[in-house]
Amino acid sequence: MLLPIITRGDPCFTGLIRYNYQGRPLYFKVAFIYNNLLAIYGESFRMRVIAFANQKGGVGKTTCAVTLADGLARKKLRVLLIDLDPQGHAALSLGFQKSAGLYHFLSLEEPLKNLVVHARPNLDLLPGDKLTEKVKHQIALMDFRKTILSDHLTGLDYDAVILDLAPSLDVLHINGLSASDWVVIPTRLDMLSIDGVKEVLLTMAELSQSGKCYRGYSILPTFFERTTKETLSQFRELVQTFSGHVWPPIPQDASVRAASAQGKTLWETSRNTSALLGFKNGRQFQGGFNQVLERLLEVIRDEKE
Amino acid sequence: MTKKNEPRPITLDPAVADLLASMEKRQAEAQMPRQQRERIVKQRIKIQSRREQRATYDLPPMLRESIRSLAEELKIPASQLVTLALIRFMRSYNAGEIDLGQYKQPSRSPRYDWNLVLTKELLNLQKKK
Repeated sequence: MLLPIITRGDPCFTGLIRYNYQGRPLYFKVAFIYNNLLAIYGESFRMRVIAFANQKGGVGKTTCAVTLADGLARKKLRVLLIDLDPQGHAALSLGFQKSAGLYHFLSLEEPLKNLVVHARPNLDLLPGDKLTEKVKHQIALMDFRKTILSDHLTGLDYDAVILDLAPSLDVLHINGLSASDWVVIPTRLDMLSIDGVKEVLLTMAELSQSGKCYRGYSILPTFFERTTKETLSQFRELVQTFSGHVWPPIPQDASVRAASAQGKTLWETSRNTSALLGFKNGRQFQGGFNQVLERLLEVIRDEKE
Repeated sequence: MTKKNEPRPITLDPAVADLLASMEKRQAEAQMPRQQRERIVKQRIKIQSRREQRATYDLPPMLRESIRSLAEELKIPASQLVTLALIRFMRSYNAGEIDLGQYKQPSRSPRYDWNLVLTKELLNLQKKK
């Protein structure tokens, strides 16, 4: 077994180290305490496709997709973020211009490596723009239209593919849901957004009836305000309805807007912000992207199928 | 086999369960009469102010028991007794009056170089009659 050479580790740092074993990526989870390697054990992964979807707009799909994609990349996973939304905001959020990457990939069949933007270390972006609309019209005329994206993703050398879906229920949305292993449904705690959750779940149920097999789904409350009565009652109802599917919420935080305005992710601009750390309760933190990232890593880890 | 009418077990994410419980608690507090609410706020401030003074260490049960019984006998808080003992130890150590060398054994832990091996005789703190 190859042990990576590590010269220095932060106190109590944990992370993942990738090693290619017979063409298959193996991951070693490592933990350091005061520069000493405390534990190292192998974990195997296969590429996971995770969709961020809600049929209601403005719930934080793109922000969650971009932040968590960069979070996974910082954990040494090789991540591809695909923008399936014609608004093309994933590129802007990462500080790049919109471009017709998705159109060239799906409609013109150009190789992915010529189209992706190396947005951050370990993070590639396949951007989209208004030409994504054209992709929808072309796909709508094709045979086996539901699985076109899924077919294009087969054989890619990434650990995780994150799909940022548009809120509209169209052929590209269906393609995104068909291609994904796990669906994360970001939602605000208001009636309209929760209706969007219901719609996504109905679409997933319909796809399941036609043979699609999901590993699961999660509901991610966003723009969460801990102090209002309305939030509590909606959150309580959400938890009662979806129980274990509800992930820790992302607090409402102005620094999220500030980060996307700069074309940077929260990990780059404000590491001590509540959106990342969560709500402070005594010595513990509740919610935030840090906890959600842990859940996402659990989803991506292979369960020795 | 599970029965059809049995309710589905609710396995909440622990962070979600904690958050929900703390929010429920806050709302219940908000509905209390003013005096009760103020008392709770005072208690919380007191707990928070003491947090910096708290520490957790592993102690042999015999030593813990000796501290407890001495504190009871003298009718003083055990924390103050331990604080005094530690201050006196630190002063003696800094003055070079205590040599830890005789207790040191190499440690196999990646975190520590040494262990202090405390013998039973050393831990026997019963009063001499």
